[in-house]
Amino acid sequence: MSARSTLRPRSVQPAWSFEYIMWFFTRVSGLTMYLLALSGVVGAFILGARTQVDLQTLLRWMFFPNRFHVEPYLDDAAFWVTAWWQIMQILIVFFAVSHGFNGLRVVIEDYVGRSFWRPLLRSVVFLLWLAMLVIAVFVILQA
Amino acid sequence: MKISLKLYRYNPEIDKKSRYETYQLEADPTDRILDILEFVKGYIDGTLSFRRSCAHGVCGSDAMRINGQNRLACKTLLRDLHGNKVTVEPIMGLRVIKDLIVDMDPFFENFRTVLPYLINDEPAPKTERLQSPEDRERFDDTTKCILCACCTTSCPSFWANDEYLGPAAFVNAHRFIFDSRDRAADERLKILSAQNGVYRCHTVFNCTLACPREIEITKAIGEVKRAISTGSLK
Repeated sequence: MSARSTLRPRSVQPAWSFEYIMWFFTRVSGLTMYLLALSGVVGAFILGARTQVDLQTLLRWMFFPNRFHVEPYLDDAAFWVTAWWQIMQILIVFFAVSHGFNGLRVVIEDYVGRSFWRPLLRSVVFLLWLAMLVIAVFVILQA
Repeated sequence: MKISLKLYRYNPEIDKKSRYETYQLEADPTDRILDILEFVKGYIDGTLSFRRSCAHGVCGSDAMRINGQNRLACKTLLRDLHGNKVTVEPIMGLRVIKDLIVDMDPFFENFRTVLPYLINDEPAPKTERLQSPEDRERFDDTTKCILCACCTTSCPSFWANDEYLGPAAFVNAHRFIFDSRDRAADERLKILSAQNGVYRCHTVFNCTLACPREIEITKAIGEVKRAISTGSLK
């Protein structure tokens, strides 16, 4: 005897929540940091890093393309100090700081039960995240 | 063979804190841990307390930590432990009531949170609600759960916070979310997507290793995560 299934929708509304969005962000930001680092090192090679800077400097630049990493080694750093690299720095800082502080938030959600500590610690993490981003962007734009 | 059986003991009427007692026994390699506990209770110390019911791996009553791993005492043979030292302790993350008996209320509260029953408000057909073998196969693995709590109490996220729904609740949610006769998948996915839901799972795989029914729990949690993300129930 064959059975016929009762019909039902094969899909429902996705149940996106804050937890889902942050779970997704963790994965995307991790991947994005690799891509930003890769584009940093590719950009550095295009600008002549192979003959102008040493490996340590290149690695520092790769993870944070800031002018102070390369200026001591270059006669002319004009192409290394552009708005493009400032945007790259801001993106790397945003993804790294947010990824890290979200990790701290997850630790709080995991280990702190329902008590007054949870909202307090969440607030501390949020304020630290915000302060660090603001300071970092200020430093990048001032540099 | 001679074995050394180390048992976790706690009697709240006498003991201020838990202690261990060790018994030297003669046993066969094919004896189950449950047989050994029954022997201790019957012939050495009648105050020893533990849960058991069917004794055949179906009721899920006798989940305990045997040599550091969550198992059913009735399904664990002495020879499976590869040695003559056996330590039996209560499962972790739940309050110990006495000896190997824990308070299962938080576990069952979490289980009830995910609405573990068929929900379908459509008019009932004249006969039963039919389902094809393929649709039944979709959630077959998660129907095997016996609610022994081996999985949930092996999960570090649950040890840290018992508000976390835990793998057993996710398995039972999965069983209905992917049931073609059910109509409340969206409601359950919202519950599982909330703060104490599947995103507290860090894919440690302890639950999958502990499950005496060999349910692929981490895979089921992954499928629930995918359903939350895409809404697809395929």
